[in-house]
Amino acid sequence: MRLRDTIGLTRVAWRNLWRNRRRTLIVLSSVVVGVFVLVLFDTLNLGMVAQMLDNHLRLHVGHVQIHREGYHANPAVEQFFQDAATVQQQVATHPEVQAVAPRVLAHGLLSSAYNNGGVQLVGIVPEAESLVTFIAKQLVAGRYLHGEGREILIGERLARKLEVRLGDRVVAMAARPDGQIGSEVFRVAGLFRTVSADFDRTMAFIPIDQARALLGLPSDAAHELVLLLNDARQAETLKAHLQSALPDTLEVLTYRDIVPLLVMQRDLYAQMMYLIYLIIGVALIFGIINAMLMAVLERLPEFGVLRAIGMSEGRLFLLVSLESLLIGLLGTALGWGLSLPVYAYLAHHGLNLAAFSEALTAFGIGAVIYPRLTFRVVWNAWLIIPLVAWLGALYPAWRALHVEPVEAMRAV
Amino acid sequence: MSAMAIVQAEQVHKIYDEGAVPVEALRGVSLTIAPGEFTVIAGPSGSGKTTLLNLLGALDVPTTGRVFFEGQDLSKLSRRERARLRLYKIGFVFQAYNLIPVLTALENVEFVLLLQGVPERERRRRALEVLEQLGIGELAHKRPHEMSGGQQQRVAVARAVVSRPRLILADEPTANLDSATGARLLDLMEQLNREQGVTFVFSSHDPQVIERGRRLLWLHDGRIEREERR
Repeated sequence: MRLRDTIGLTRVAWRNLWRNRRRTLIVLSSVVVGVFVLVLFDTLNLGMVAQMLDNHLRLHVGHVQIHREGYHANPAVEQFFQDAATVQQQVATHPEVQAVAPRVLAHGLLSSAYNNGGVQLVGIVPEAESLVTFIAKQLVAGRYLHGEGREILIGERLARKLEVRLGDRVVAMAARPDGQIGSEVFRVAGLFRTVSADFDRTMAFIPIDQARALLGLPSDAAHELVLLLNDARQAETLKAHLQSALPDTLEVLTYRDIVPLLVMQRDLYAQMMYLIYLIIGVALIFGIINAMLMAVLERLPEFGVLRAIGMSEGRLFLLVSLESLLIGLLGTALGWGLSLPVYAYLAHHGLNLAAFSEALTAFGIGAVIYPRLTFRVVWNAWLIIPLVAWLGALYPAWRALHVEPVEAMRAV
Repeated sequence: MSAMAIVQAEQVHKIYDEGAVPVEALRGVSLTIAPGEFTVIAGPSGSGKTTLLNLLGALDVPTTGRVFFEGQDLSKLSRRERARLRLYKIGFVFQAYNLIPVLTALENVEFVLLLQGVPERERRRRALEVLEQLGIGELAHKRPHEMSGGQQQRVAVARAVVSRPRLILADEPTANLDSATGARLLDLMEQLNREQGVTFVFSSHDPQVIERGRRLLWLHDGRIEREERR
């Protein structure tokens, strides 16, 4: 069938749509509402899972980590590497890398006069760490680490558990590589509250030199280099570069290797959206079938005439399909027109879900959700909704095709 | 079979088997329509006029017997091939005009050419030309509901002739028109027949149509009872 025939038929289909204006407007509005809901739901959902991942990455994980080979599988205190400063300098020369921070890590026990709790002790270079993660911005009391002296940052929740306040002393104990237990007294310099309740209960930050001293590590030792990239999508490429550039004794991991569950969760959410598309699609399709069937049945004699004057079955099928497809396309366009201003507003101001913030905090999301528009959302809505509309026309079109011209015209 | 024939029926029977009792609408009809004829199939209601017209127009196939269109056995054609034959070779004028209500007169006439794949500019030119020839150029941009019955039927004639078919079948074309309007429509068809050699076959029991027929086939109970040539 030639394009110009299709254009001609599209004009006829368009006019046919407006024969019963009210019916068309009702079906059209259901498509518009469907698209509106889908676009906002999908973008908010995408924003939420992206925020969850981003928050986790910016909270502690970073985009890429470098350890001694085998540390990720067995994060034991003796699995440190030396010359950390040299590796850090080497890594920082890559243009994808925005910031690098070294860490010394140990599982240990933090005790106050009243209580104790298991913690992950993180020895940091405060300035470098504040460029990679946003722990420095999460303080609710006290101040950030200076890098000198025996001071510690702990989560508000942990402070409550230990019943300590700013300036109080806590004792940190951790196993050293030689099997001895190292212990040191620290003064609480600051309290933080992040979007993750779990993080606030279990993390404790001390200056890296203090951590090395506590664990009896050499002065240039580190367990981890954390890298923040300009764009998270560059992580895999950089990993490949670094793997070939760095010695074999070091392992390079991306956030996909470190928090695969979170990445999977994000992908799973994306898959789940198809279920929502399916549900809305099914709801729409019955409305479309109903409207198109009515439109076809009341025009059977006319279809008989069209068949009589020589319209082929293919063209008749195309005509009915086009009518439905036009509803789908117009509805999608109007639905987008309606949802884009709302999206723009939410993208700027965010959707404040403070009422649910406790639950959202537990998931590491944050109380304000910003929707995210991706090409996939655009593609899905423009593809799926018109496709659903077209599918809704199949049965009515089939009914139209089975019109015998003689039979149909008898009804005239 | 006559070499000259446009359409030829041979011992055609048509039995409708839908109700409790089968109805034999045609009982062995044979006829030949030659180019340039102006033929009326006349007879009372239920005599089988429309059934015969449907068979001659490849809209239906006989139960037994054969119909040839330009020598081609219609029963051997698929639905698709018959649709194509109707599109290119046969024009129809129906009792109820049957214009497409959402299209203007011009677009209705163009529609057949659209189906034939004629480029837009050419089909517009040809459609306008036919409307002018038929004296209804001023109706070009009117929709069916803005036209009288007679005007609509003239547009239907324009639609039937625009693709220059070999044969035009008109089923009770004047049934919904008053006699003066019907007469003007018949004048138009006669003119097309005389000046352009368009072949017409009518089915009608309207005396003024019967009067105009140069060949008359009287149908009664599914048989051709008699034939007159004038």
